[in-house]
Amino acid sequence: MGQIELKGVTKRFGDAEVIPPLDLQINDGEFVVFVGPSGCGKSTLLRLIAGLEDVSGGTINIDGRNATDERPAQRGLAMVFQSYALYPHMSVRKNIAFPLKMAKMSKAEIDAKVDHAAKVLNLSSYIDRRPGQLSGGQRQRVAIGRAIVRSPKAFLFDEPLSNLDAALRVNMRLEISELHNTLKTTMIYVTHDQVEAMTMADKIVVLQAGRIEQVGSPLELYRSPKNRFVAGFIGSPKMNFIGGAEAAKYNAFEIGVRPEHIAVGPTGDWQGRVTVSEHLGSDTFLHVETQHGLINVRAGGEVGVHHGDTVWLTPDRSQMHRFDQQGHAL
Amino acid sequence: MATQASRAAGRLMISPAVIVLFLWMIVPLGMTIYFSFLRYNLLIPGDHAFAGFENYQFFFTDPNFWPALINTLLLVGGVLLITTVGGILLALLLDQPMFGQGIVRVLVIAPFFVMPTVSALVWKNMFMNPVNGIFGWLANVFGVPPYDFLSQAPLLSIILIVAWQWLPFATLILLTALQSLDSEQLEAAEMDGAGPFSRFFHIMLPHLSRAATVVILIQTIFLLSIFAEILVTTNGGPGNASTNLTYLVYSQSLLQYDVGLGSAGGIVAVILANIVAIFLMRMIGKNLEA
Repeated sequence: MGQIELKGVTKRFGDAEVIPPLDLQINDGEFVVFVGPSGCGKSTLLRLIAGLEDVSGGTINIDGRNATDERPAQRGLAMVFQSYALYPHMSVRKNIAFPLKMAKMSKAEIDAKVDHAAKVLNLSSYIDRRPGQLSGGQRQRVAIGRAIVRSPKAFLFDEPLSNLDAALRVNMRLEISELHNTLKTTMIYVTHDQVEAMTMADKIVVLQAGRIEQVGSPLELYRSPKNRFVAGFIGSPKMNFIGGAEAAKYNAFEIGVRPEHIAVGPTGDWQGRVTVSEHLGSDTFLHVETQHGLINVRAGGEVGVHHGDTVWLTPDRSQMHRFDQQGHAL
Repeated sequence: MATQASRAAGRLMISPAVIVLFLWMIVPLGMTIYFSFLRYNLLIPGDHAFAGFENYQFFFTDPNFWPALINTLLLVGGVLLITTVGGILLALLLDQPMFGQGIVRVLVIAPFFVMPTVSALVWKNMFMNPVNGIFGWLANVFGVPPYDFLSQAPLLSIILIVAWQWLPFATLILLTALQSLDSEQLEAAEMDGAGPFSRFFHIMLPHLSRAATVVILIQTIFLLSIFAEILVTTNGGPGNASTNLTYLVYSQSLLQYDVGLGSAGGIVAVILANIVAIFLMRMIGKNLEA
């Protein structure tokens, strides 16, 4: 079980309101990702749920029980920190066993659980090493191991992959997703990387300045963003925004078209000159200078367009997003 | 320092410092060893005849030798105990966010700036004196006969005075070590269900072990040669109750004008310091590795 409910939760540091009243429902077994630009309050929100920060107002319910004033350990949640926060003077085994030791479990029980966790996470071969002797990915696994031995109600991840290199990050992403599929435990994951959010989440919570901009499944957010911020944040490369007269044609203050929804051809709606074309093999990203500004286009891998070429762009009207003056989707 | 030439240049550059340091150590040591084998008393002019191990024999059979040795170890051990335990507790206290933190920290460091003779005299006359001291006054307030610290418990009194002087040093080093502890580790331990005491013993104390090692090693070096505090308070007395090895060497070489005997005592003190150092390195030196 791991159902978490936030009701009117606020957080103030002195006079600064970091999180205005916020409601959020996290269901049992869900993989929820908090995503937003840095400083949007997503880590603070996670720490409020963990109990490492006190809420300034509102209530946090875990499995229907009011946990607002409970200490972190009582909440039955486990956290993986950005710096992993392994205990440097303890071996991998002792690190993983630490929460069990604090729970005063018997030695035999601890050993069994630690060995099981080590096997699940492929840690067995360096179980007696110190954290200082491990690579980044291995440390990450130890941190996850320390979290799973307690069989918590939910896992909290605070940007766990940001200290890893790109290749390892993709691997760990898969491993965490697999872990979620096997454990079926609620996971809350904080990241500023929308790719991580899109690939892992059942439900994405997009935050900006402490406010929830939109909650939904990755594809919901991709297909129908509620506002300009979500539209620009979700999707890579970023959505193109065009305002002015061109937008007025579509009865909007501003229109947004994703790079993958623009066709390149010898004729079309907008004429432009290619400034940069990035050939990735599977795709080609074109940066096209048009009268409406710079437009990013994602074309097929075999498009033979180069710097300086003149091209015509046609947006797919069925995939076009329209926004009003306040940035809300129409 | 990658190439052969730069390594050679490096050695050349540091050689003056190394040579001066080496001479600084070897000349006094050599002369002390030389004097310790002579029959050399300032009151008896004339030849300084070679005396063999006579001086050492006198020193070891001196009735004050074993008490002085034990006093030295008690003094060092007592001060180390008070300063490391007290230093850790004070560091924990000073690490808490509080009003006037900067001023409090300066106040804590203050005893370290007071020179040993002055602080010992202040303690002797203004605190521990049964007539004028504040402790005597306090005892009178409560209707208890005042306690004459320096004649009733001379060694303990000196341990207290020296511990007061060295507490700031220990506190400062341990405080900086405590501040370098990653707060996420403490938070992780909190999530793992560790209470304040478990967090202290499982996370903070292991983190402080290296700094505590530095404190103990450095203090031991200085505490083995405590002298000024004894000279201005008890003069090693009553009897030999507060005489340590340094003071014994002083009383034999200068009070009795016997350079040979004093030198022999000095060499014994050097050997003792080395034995203590070896034990310390064995016990806690591994904390400095890795």
